[in-house]
Amino acid sequence: MTLQRDVIAPKNPAFDMSRNLNLPLSSAIRAGAFIFVSGMVAIDPSSGERMHGTVAAETRQALIALAQVLEAAGSSLTKAVKINVLIYSMLEYNNMNEVYREFFPDEPPSRTVCGARLSGGSKVEIECIALA
Amino acid sequence: MTRRLSRSVIEPVNPKLNVSRNANLPHSPGIRVGEYIFLSGMGPVDPITGGRNLGPIAEQIRQTLRNMAHMLESGGSGLDRIVKINIVLGDIQHYDEMNRVWREFFPVDPPARTTCALQLSNGNGVEIECIALGAANIPESR
Repeated sequence: MTLQRDVIAPKNPAFDMSRNLNLPLSSAIRAGAFIFVSGMVAIDPSSGERMHGTVAAETRQALIALAQVLEAAGSSLTKAVKINVLIYSMLEYNNMNEVYREFFPDEPPSRTVCGARLSGGSKVEIECIALA
Repeated sequence: MTRRLSRSVIEPVNPKLNVSRNANLPHSPGIRVGEYIFLSGMGPVDPITGGRNLGPIAEQIRQTLRNMAHMLESGGSGLDRIVKINIVLGDIQHYDEMNRVWREFFPVDPPARTTCALQLSNGNGVEIECIALGAANIPESR
């Protein structure tokens, strides 16, 4: 009994970064009891293109995209166990947190935040491991 | 129903690629827990000399992914069993080139992935870590 490895694509194709941004990655992979989600950036839900805005705005859109991918896999933000947030500047930490807490009002997942250079001019990128 | 998972260390068959042992670093190359394999961040180590291949970034990425394939195969897994992979570049300017090389190794159903640029050790231009599924029925080594 070997665990199956399934590719997950969001139901709204606008959130499919691999397709819209032509990237060699899967939005998420389901493996056993867990779902592994790629780093999600702020995506315009109508065009599928990257959205650029404040850290607060990008955090919101990235979390919306993350929720979409998890829901396509039959999971949700409430089932997230570990989240990693990358932001372009740690000076924006509080701006990210203010929006972030709206999405995780109670029992939030464990989390790491790190300041890093991101691709495509994004200011925020959020990845996640969740229960399937 | 709680099943207690075992935790075992995975090491590369080629000892030249056992960076933590050769450089006396306090990490294991990989850990298997249940059916999951967690690999440490890997860099462009030369499988013959054990030194670093710090050449063009495309070649560094290829070397790192070949080493990762070797590590996973040493644990009874393989690149096609990776579920999540993280790439850390020394310079985000190499993002597009990384994607070009990436397709050579993951032509279909690629793993979930996150990329960013951070300060790396040993002058590496790239470091890659992953979580993969192992094959079932591998006897536990310890």
